[in-house]
Amino acid sequence: MNPVYISAAAALSPQYTFEAEGLLQDVRSSDNGKLFVTDADYSKFINPVAIRRMSRLLKMGISTGMKCMQLAGIRSPDGIITGTGRGSMRDMEIFLGDMIRLKEETLNPTYFIQSTYNSVNGWLAMQTKCNGYNQTYVHRGHSLEMALLDAQMLLNETNERKTYLVGAFDEMTDEYFLVKSKKAYWKKPVPNSLDLFKHSDTKGSIGGEGAAFFTVTNDKENTICGIEDIRMLQDPDENEINRTIENVLQRHHLNIKNIDLVLCGMNGDSRFQPLYANILTGFTARTSITAFKHLTGEYDTSTSFALWLATELFKRQEIPEIITLKKGIHSDIKNVLIVNHYILNSASILLLKGN
Amino acid sequence: MAEKIVVTSIGILSAIGRGTVETLHSLKEMKSGLHYPVHLQTVHANDFLLGEVNKSNDELATLLALPVGENGYTRTTLLALVAMQELMQGIDKALLQEEGFAFINANTVGGMCSVENMYEDFLSEDYIGDKVQYIDTLDCAESTLNVARYFGLKPFTATISTACSSSANSIILGARLIKHGIVKRAICGGCDALSRFTLNGFNSLKNVDKEACRPFDKNRFGLNLGEGAGYVLLETETAAKERGAEILAVLSGYGNTNDAYHPTAPSPNGDGAYNTMKLALDSANLAPANINYINAHGTATLSNDAAEAKAIERVFGEQVPLFSSTKPYTGHTLAAAGSIEAIFSIMALQQQFALPNLNYQTPMEDVNVQPNTTLTNASITHVLSNSFGFGGNNVSLIFSKA
Repeated sequence: MNPVYISAAAALSPQYTFEAEGLLQDVRSSDNGKLFVTDADYSKFINPVAIRRMSRLLKMGISTGMKCMQLAGIRSPDGIITGTGRGSMRDMEIFLGDMIRLKEETLNPTYFIQSTYNSVNGWLAMQTKCNGYNQTYVHRGHSLEMALLDAQMLLNETNERKTYLVGAFDEMTDEYFLVKSKKAYWKKPVPNSLDLFKHSDTKGSIGGEGAAFFTVTNDKENTICGIEDIRMLQDPDENEINRTIENVLQRHHLNIKNIDLVLCGMNGDSRFQPLYANILTGFTARTSITAFKHLTGEYDTSTSFALWLATELFKRQEIPEIITLKKGIHSDIKNVLIVNHYILNSASILLLKGN
Repeated sequence: MAEKIVVTSIGILSAIGRGTVETLHSLKEMKSGLHYPVHLQTVHANDFLLGEVNKSNDELATLLALPVGENGYTRTTLLALVAMQELMQGIDKALLQEEGFAFINANTVGGMCSVENMYEDFLSEDYIGDKVQYIDTLDCAESTLNVARYFGLKPFTATISTACSSSANSIILGARLIKHGIVKRAICGGCDALSRFTLNGFNSLKNVDKEACRPFDKNRFGLNLGEGAGYVLLETETAAKERGAEILAVLSGYGNTNDAYHPTAPSPNGDGAYNTMKLALDSANLAPANINYINAHGTATLSNDAAEAKAIERVFGEQVPLFSSTKPYTGHTLAAAGSIEAIFSIMALQQQFALPNLNYQTPMEDVNVQPNTTLTNASITHVLSNSFGFGGNNVSLIFSKA
């Protein structure tokens, strides 16, 4: 398949990523194990009547999608494809809680409707009057990756210039945090989020959330970067990750020295740290190694933040101190690898090429 | 479409039976699977007829040689596994271990059927008992990954959730993955178990009928919920012929569009359904007159059936083919509906019949189309299967005679 290209990107995250001029200059952190997004003025992106009943996740997802469309200068995409691990968690929790408390009587349908995983897609289609292809993947740590692969397939199924709106969204809630703590998702005791990687010798991570959208097209002109390869691994060990990276490089006629930057999804959890061992040591001095989950926390679709971050790095050609684990001696940022692992044993590897 | 994508094995489980033989028997006998629930523990058990699968979780586990009791599997996964068991019996498992193979699954609420009964314990600060093993089962992907693990497979996997069109979308995705050469074969479908969450959700929308649902009837009131699972094995015609497999049907076309009209209601003149059916016909290179039977979405809600009937009238004009909704047999099985009804469509091709729309009596007022009400023997070459969902997610599939 031919590569596809990102022409615009928008991200809502715990950091100032939605509107800020600079990239990760002022940094937000937390001491309670949870990183929540920095809210934006959602009323700029959503119908004022509709927004009143909308839950936070819907506002996050719809606004980020609309912002991305604005940046791309497009009114209506050819289709909308998203990935989410959790959908509107809070709507689900409220409807479920009410159902238990009220013994299945007099329930408010709004929470039920908004809890369906495809509700953000439905709203985005309405707001952009997009009757085209519409799809929602709910596949844990591969949700965004599937959405990107689907877009790549669609763009390879046509000879016309087309642009799809592709994105991901996931929210953290207090209930989610409590429930998942029983499955050892989080660090105890809780470090400050910025110190996450200093505690990579203990189990657990910190909880996070975010939304990011991309306009993805088959016409390279005026785009930021190309998505050259998308690989998804289930239950991988370190060897499989390393083999896959080698395989990706080989397929695209690249040497390890050609990789200027690696965005690493390490989440401070000692159980998964070995998966990144070779990445941290195996690249040459040319390659910059970076990490981001101390800024976002862990969530199913965190690859979407990494992908957004990559588009910013391509544009700015400068790597903020706060994400740098090792500074490489490459001249510009051209070939980028994203290597991400999610807590429920899935990993993904993306190869990007700046234009 | 360049290379033909064909169906070579199926697996089905719903309120009207386990496996193809039982299912066909119920369809032919016009025997509905709707009844008051026995296994779903709800205060509404005596209020609503449901398409509940006639087996307890322990009975399902036993069929799968799994331990009974709290074994870590949700009913969603158990339904999926039992349907998959039939599909797997129809093929040599080695086929799926050697070469590129995808398992594309779909559901709407993951393991909510288990989680809703444990949630209070999950929220209790100091609870650390056995139920903790069910915490991650809320994810839609849980059943997908569990099916792969149960059968000892390591496929390419994906899980789709687009409400009531979910598993019709998995069939499209599987076909496209094969066409792109990403995999050689794909098992596609969906599963959903009845849950109080979903029953109360639809009930809060006031569109659940207490009686058996009456699709396309003027006096229809709403839907009956159901549960089940359905899976189809897709491969190219060449791959099927290479191994001498029996071809059950050809997936000759599909369409996916969005209504972009309202979060839960279709556009009243059926624009969304119209566009989707048209797209499927175009992709199959067929004219409306080529379709011999439509397995309609036909949920029996006021808005769906009005919009869908109008759209059928607009697409097919004077030559409306035999059409029916099979929801009165199975209830609305949500994410499983697309693949279960895809299998009914394949049965229509194989048996050369159009299925009846049970419980139909009075024609709707502002459309001229009327569903087929008996098991009708007919020459069936092409079948259109509709699946329309919340969020405006519409899908049509076309299956053709091998």
